[in-house]
Amino acid sequence: MKQPTGSPVERLAVLGAAAGEAVERLRQSPVPVIEVGCATCGRAAGALETIAGFEEALAANGVEAEIRRVGCLGHCYAEPLVTIRYPGFPPLLYQKIGPGEAGILVRSFLKDGSDPCYEYLIGALEPDENFPTLMDYPRYLFEKRVVMEQCGLIDPEDIDHYLAAGGYRALAEGLEKGGEWVLEEVKAANLRGRGGAGFPAGRKWEIARSVDKTRVIICNGDEGDPGAYMDRTLLESNPHQVLEGLILAALAIGAGRALFYIRAEYPLAVEIMEKAIAAARERNLLGEDILGSGFTLEVGVFKGSGAFVCGEETALISSLSGHRGMPRPRPPYPAVAGLDGLPTIINNVKTLSTVPAIIRNGHQWFHEIGTENSPGTAIFSVVGEVEYPGLVEVPMGVTLAHLVNDICGGVKDGKALKAVQIGGPSGGCLPVSLLDTEIDFDSLKKVGAMMGSGGLVIMNEDTCMVEVARYFTDFTQGESCGKCTFCRIGTHHLREILKSITIGEGRIEELEDLEEISTSVIKGSLCSLGKTAPNPVLTTLRFFRDEYLAHIEEKRCPARMCRNLTAFYIDLEACARGCDACVACCPTEAIFTTSNRKKAIDQEKCVKCGECVYACPPEYDAVRRVSPPELIPDQGVQPLDSGAGSEKEQ
Amino acid sequence: MSEKIVTITVDGKKITAPEGAWLLPVCLEHDIYIPSLCWLKEMDDPPASCRLCLVEIEGLPEPVASCRCPVREGMVVRTNSDEILKLRQVAFRLLVSTNDGHCNTCIANRSCELQQIAKFLHQPLRTKRLRHIDRDYPEIIDDHPVLMYEPKKCVLCGRCVYVCSQNERGYKLDFAKRGMDTIISFYGSDIDPAAKECADCLACTEICPVGALSSKEKWRRFIAEVRLKQEQKKQKPS
Amino acid sequence: MLEQILASLDESEREAIDEEELQVLERVESELVTFPSEPSHLLPILQHIQARHGYLPKLALRLVADYVGVAIGKVYGIATFYNQFRFNPPGRNPIKVCLGTACHVKGGDIILENFERRLGIREGETTADREYSLERVACIGCCALAPAVVVGDKVEAYVTPSKVEGIITEIEVRKEMAAREQKKNETANG
Repeated sequence: MKQPTGSPVERLAVLGAAAGEAVERLRQSPVPVIEVGCATCGRAAGALETIAGFEEALAANGVEAEIRRVGCLGHCYAEPLVTIRYPGFPPLLYQKIGPGEAGILVRSFLKDGSDPCYEYLIGALEPDENFPTLMDYPRYLFEKRVVMEQCGLIDPEDIDHYLAAGGYRALAEGLEKGGEWVLEEVKAANLRGRGGAGFPAGRKWEIARSVDKTRVIICNGDEGDPGAYMDRTLLESNPHQVLEGLILAALAIGAGRALFYIRAEYPLAVEIMEKAIAAARERNLLGEDILGSGFTLEVGVFKGSGAFVCGEETALISSLSGHRGMPRPRPPYPAVAGLDGLPTIINNVKTLSTVPAIIRNGHQWFHEIGTENSPGTAIFSVVGEVEYPGLVEVPMGVTLAHLVNDICGGVKDGKALKAVQIGGPSGGCLPVSLLDTEIDFDSLKKVGAMMGSGGLVIMNEDTCMVEVARYFTDFTQGESCGKCTFCRIGTHHLREILKSITIGEGRIEELEDLEEISTSVIKGSLCSLGKTAPNPVLTTLRFFRDEYLAHIEEKRCPARMCRNLTAFYIDLEACARGCDACVACCPTEAIFTTSNRKKAIDQEKCVKCGECVYACPPEYDAVRRVSPPELIPDQGVQPLDSGAGSEKEQ
Repeated sequence: MSEKIVTITVDGKKITAPEGAWLLPVCLEHDIYIPSLCWLKEMDDPPASCRLCLVEIEGLPEPVASCRCPVREGMVVRTNSDEILKLRQVAFRLLVSTNDGHCNTCIANRSCELQQIAKFLHQPLRTKRLRHIDRDYPEIIDDHPVLMYEPKKCVLCGRCVYVCSQNERGYKLDFAKRGMDTIISFYGSDIDPAAKECADCLACTEICPVGALSSKEKWRRFIAEVRLKQEQKKQKPS
Repeated sequence: MLEQILASLDESEREAIDEEELQVLERVESELVTFPSEPSHLLPILQHIQARHGYLPKLALRLVADYVGVAIGKVYGIATFYNQFRFNPPGRNPIKVCLGTACHVKGGDIILENFERRLGIREGETTADREYSLERVACIGCCALAPAVVVGDKVEAYVTPSKVEGIITEIEVRKEMAAREQKKNETANG
């Protein structure tokens, strides 16, 4: 490829103009363009089938259109998402488009532009007189998209899309003004690490810059928190933004080596990032003498092998060096002596993704968003029992209540909110009374939770908090590297005690053990995995102690979730004669027909999966769940033909 | 390490040491005992994994492992505060909760460092407070031609892995698996000709604080002795 | 290299290696040269063998150890540390049940149980006919579509116990169709 000449900014202007033309040609294309969200989540929801559906329908109807794959908008509840750019219409966003809907869209809309299918429409991406726009929805109105601005709108595999949207402009400016200027901007912006701890990125960079050795910059994409997936989305949906951030960081610390560390469970992210690196190299945005500035940088991609603890900096470095991913005691800090003994900076995907915007708009702009001590935005993956799950980017400082109720539509099915689990396995469970807590690094710490990587699980009245604590402890215990005594054995005891409580075998004095072991593990562990692992235990004990007591003293699970303490039965009053809906769905054939041709559950066979609850037609709604199991009323159930040998015995 | 000599205060006692030396050996030299399992004097880079040597340092928010805390001028250290004692006790209880506790038939009985630390911390060797964790491993792993390993005695201090790595010859011991399943592994020693050379070294068996690693030959002799004693005991009363 | 290693084994050990494993080992040996022979490349090498052959045979670990010049115990120590590696051949249809937070809240463990019941194996095992293997994974990042399951390399969203049945049936039907197709071709050719 022929490279432009001149200063970095001039060279980038040439690249940007060429990219702009290419994208504009696409926008002005006389054939309609269909954009399908094809990040991992979109694919799981069937995006590839949707594409096949479009292809088939286009061919069958003789319609010409171009299908393009884009990233993820973060509106996971509406997947698969499709944007249609039809000449004469604004770009229109559709939700839940399967192959069937794809066929309808082709026949009714794409064929002749007659019917834009309002029934599947979310809204127009641009203001328009005839269509609702996305800003008409609270979800879009209250969000502040800085890092995720382009996600789902651009083709992540086409660098021109990113360039046309102003991409790499920050890099060109940084190259002209020099690494120290970039460092000062980021420092002045007080960009705090988005990986969880919130340490200011600029300060960290400064430490590395002061060590006179080859410096290393690593982008930490080992997102392992169960329930968090924004790093994956950013890597998959806007890889060039992360890459630009990484190059800027490299420039700021004067790095000679740069790496992406991406977890093995994200194969698509690895693939897309490798393509992005190749495309950037081709345009001299990477490699030797970047944009004629004299700065040279190569970027590699290293795949993690599946170990949560490798998100911890020293463990990540061990793993990169070809060792067991075990954390090391600090000091020395990686910023002073990390990979191969070289000063090493490790920044989270979100942190690096924020850098280009700060450089483009200046640190004052960044301070206008968020709070004084936590400027900028936070990205949360809101999942669980919420109406509109997905990725949400909000300014720091909004309250949890605003995030859950206003932006994400509140709890699903009108149920009552019980708790919000924030910060992943190292975070805490906050009760409804703390919903007014502001979301920023310091306020969350104060109430015993943490920002973590931004996982947010909404729990309703059907979620048992003891079980939640057991789940998280089980996770961290399974991911403990086994090096230090407290984390290896301490978390094991925590898990065993919690397990015994959830199956109704807990002892009251063990609550004290839970507290003592938890505080010891926090104080005594070697690395931050151990130091935060007991947080879910301590917060649930603090805010939901009554649930622990109910399990231990009454053998009752208030949420009716712990299976050993719960039973299902069918209310014969509500059950409809002759209906077989539940029978077909039961995986263990535990449901039998009673003498009056209604249904009942054989408690011996029942595994309490709850499938019959969903199978039972809502107009009957006859399946009941009780805890403790002794509460099942005696309805005098007789199996059909019980006199002449029941069905069960055959 | 610099030549500079600094003065620090440990439990109210002023002592001098070269600046930057690790705190744990400095204390030991001055007769201030701090328990530890994973630390060895010759280590440049102590793993700080057993967490028994935690101490309090004035001005630091959290306890630190003294085995890799460099000595600085004017440092004020406490090795016996209530909090430190409690932490050590919990760490010790956790360690012994995974131990099979069969001291009478253990090759390390009376020379076991766990027994010594128990005495120092006034803790029983079988904890009643916590449930016993029976790790899912056989009593004995002996797929090495020369060595044998008792995983239910092992405290995973890693000293054996360290001394083995300092030695050129023989099969190289290493940790395997993760978390509670972590063990010292002989994997591949059956297809590694170097494993036979271990008979000339046995450094790992000598360094093990709890007798979890032994040479097969020595172990056989020990077991024969134990059996003999048991039989003699049986015969006596009759 | 492989030849030497095989020569150093006892007869009984050599006989324990079946034809399939031998082929894997031969391929591993030829693929190794594409990697730098440095210990820092251990993980990429192991990842490559895992991805290409589905598991890490013991002698392959020995090959890798010799190639990068470290002890086999260290290679095993590294491989067993990470979730990604297997030491037995996987099933043709590997099933991974996600037990991330969102999937757990939505009953991921019930889905796992249903697979266990349906396939007659426990998590971490492979069916006797090597058709299916079952394992649990931590979050695969599809939380809004919970509970999720990865079958082969396809993510299945909103899995319910009855969908478990559907997933297995689909695989069985595909297998049956492939078998018929093959039979038809054989008769046509024969």
